[in-house]
Amino acid sequence: MEFKLEAHRIVSISLGKIYNSRVQRGGIKLHKNLLVSLVLRSARQVYLSDPCPSLYLAGHPGAPALPQQPGESVAGPPAGWGEPPPPAACAAWPEPEPQLELPAVPEVPRAGDAEPAATVTGAGDTLQGGEAEAAEAAWRRVEGPRETAVGGSDVFPQGFGAARRPCGCPPGDEDKMSASPRVDGCCAPRPAGPEPPVPPLVCPRKRGAEGVGGGPADFPAPGSTPLKKPRRNSEEQPGGAAAAAAQEEEEMETGNVANLISIFGSSFSGLLRKSPGGGREEAEGEESGPEAAEPGQICCDKPVLRDINPWSTAIVAF
Amino acid sequence: MFLKFSLRSVFYGAGGGNDIQWCFSQVKGAVDDDVAEDIISTVEFNHSGELLATGDKGGRVVIFQQEQENKIQSHSRGEYNVYSTFQSHEPEFDYLKSLEIEEKINKIRWLPQKNAAQFLLSTNDKTIKLWKISERDKRPEGYNLKEEDGRYRDPTTVTTLRVPVFRPMDLMVEASPRRIFANAHTYHINSISINSDYETYLSADDLRINLWHLEITDRSFNIVDIKPANMEELTEVITAAEFHPNSCNTFVYSSSKGTIRLCDMRASALCDRHSKLFEEPEDPSNRSFFSEIISSISDVKFSHSGRYMMTRDYLSVKIWDLNMENRPVETYQVHEYLRSKLCSLYENDCIFDKFECCWNGSDSVVMTGSYNNFFRMFDRNTKRDITLEASRENNKPRTVLKPRKVCASGKRKKDEISVDSLDFNKKILHTAWHPKENIIAVATTNNLYIFQDKVN
Repeated sequence: MEFKLEAHRIVSISLGKIYNSRVQRGGIKLHKNLLVSLVLRSARQVYLSDPCPSLYLAGHPGAPALPQQPGESVAGPPAGWGEPPPPAACAAWPEPEPQLELPAVPEVPRAGDAEPAATVTGAGDTLQGGEAEAAEAAWRRVEGPRETAVGGSDVFPQGFGAARRPCGCPPGDEDKMSASPRVDGCCAPRPAGPEPPVPPLVCPRKRGAEGVGGGPADFPAPGSTPLKKPRRNSEEQPGGAAAAAAQEEEEMETGNVANLISIFGSSFSGLLRKSPGGGREEAEGEESGPEAAEPGQICCDKPVLRDINPWSTAIVAF
Repeated sequence: MFLKFSLRSVFYGAGGGNDIQWCFSQVKGAVDDDVAEDIISTVEFNHSGELLATGDKGGRVVIFQQEQENKIQSHSRGEYNVYSTFQSHEPEFDYLKSLEIEEKINKIRWLPQKNAAQFLLSTNDKTIKLWKISERDKRPEGYNLKEEDGRYRDPTTVTTLRVPVFRPMDLMVEASPRRIFANAHTYHINSISINSDYETYLSADDLRINLWHLEITDRSFNIVDIKPANMEELTEVITAAEFHPNSCNTFVYSSSKGTIRLCDMRASALCDRHSKLFEEPEDPSNRSFFSEIISSISDVKFSHSGRYMMTRDYLSVKIWDLNMENRPVETYQVHEYLRSKLCSLYENDCIFDKFECCWNGSDSVVMTGSYNNFFRMFDRNTKRDITLEASRENNKPRTVLKPRKVCASGKRKKDEISVDSLDFNKKILHTAWHPKENIIAVATTNNLYIFQDKVN
């Protein structure tokens, strides 16, 4: 889940670069923008490959959903990543659904995470699947807030490779990003500073999943802001202070990125939204285009597709 | 093998980066660093090494000439002094696309000298120009109809006739544009390379490579085109291209994916299909978000012999044998300690810096730049490397440069610099090595340093 956070951060940075490149002297530099789009793609894959309870995401219209997650083996590394996931993490990580019933599980695989499973349980109860979904949805739209919380330090000393564990971390990361502290243990967002282990937050998904068996129903109406969720969740998380801090930072970042995306969108008149929708849809819509699906992305949900493609399309549109 | 005690060291070979003691010789440029137009964007010695050209962001070319040494006083090789300065390119505006075209000089390449004048090609993002640099040291005097200041005389006052004669004058160096090769590139030109036939040259942009004849400006041949039919399918761009030093039919181009393609122009008119593809499989343990960026090749240079070529990517220099495509024969890490910092280098755009690399005259040592005004040399024979700094602190001529060391982690020894205190704004992207002697030109942001090896 650290990957998720870092991925978010990278996404927001990348979007900023693309935006700035449009006003640079000398015209758009094709080479640099191509590289930035590749980074965006990789970051996005990290989001999507996170095997967090897809239930949570599946129903969410805007969710970056890993709809394929439910069926996917959690052990699989994110598409495109050559690095094999730590076997322990993957092996220990149950399928999303089972996870719901085993709140403690998330903690286990997360190497370095010292969070007790207990917190997870506690947190889970507080999270309402629906709210979490809402947050998730909103999050999806903004993508990649600057994770100063996570990336506070300039350096990612572990190298990205070290941190990147396509672990069985439930997709809860995303939720986290959206400031929904649904984090299951493995994806606990890291607070700013030298990567202290984040207290595991219970993935709210679990609840939703239980109720829905898949999650869609739990998704709140799109458009709800992510802001509420994290704060509340974090408050309720024992030992979740750090996570809360991270969440708040994400919220701020989220806001910036939302602005960025809306600015982006305004100049993409040619890129139409695929579907009429709420504000949330706009951001995606503006950037979505007839983009070919990423290889490896087996997303079946249209909303998911929309989410997947925005940046690639945006880049290409340049 | 070589007579090391020779003072005029026109030797080749032995004595690589570490056997040589590099000394400060000169520094050119302003002391304070904030004029953007002064940022040096290219450095190139001519074929004899007597001339050293630099191009800057403001579109100017400055040429330095080495003094003819006083044979008696062989303390050091001749100094380089300004020989000619001219404005090569001006900013332009493409009205059709509403784009400004930067005047920054991307590359300078010298033509071999055929007569008294010197010729060079300079290019910005869109237009290549052939410049003639010639000396004038005498002028005609004694016209009948003109006064010395140019005014015309009244013919009726002319009572005698004389033949005008040439009289010596102060040396004047003139640069005049002889050819302008324009409108052939949609994307930004990144490379030019003169063919060994000395009649043609190539220019490469992000997606295409064109072949020109030096005499013909109104047309060029497209020899490589990697633009996909649908731009959304674009996955790689051309980053550098160079003609083989000896085979006039062979050239290579590097890509943003870390591959190098060697093409033979005899095979077909359009060289989209490579004759050889040089690519090293990626090390999966080093995979990260930024793997693709750091594998992008920023420079490719053939060795003087033509047997090898060198490529520079963000963290390393690789030497390839043209006969072996599946991996380089040598790999040198330039600043591996940056691998863990890639995310922050991505944020501050440093990861997009395009470092160049160069060979020494004998192909035994290669050099490239780094951050904090450090530059690195790798001796291919001894396998030793050295890190030096271009700094005004060691300003005295013949001051020997002290090797520097970066401490990647852990305890920092005395005189070492920790990675976190490196100044990433001080980058050395452009370096050049004299074709025959151990003289190097190293460009910091807006200063040009010249170093020589120590002579007794």
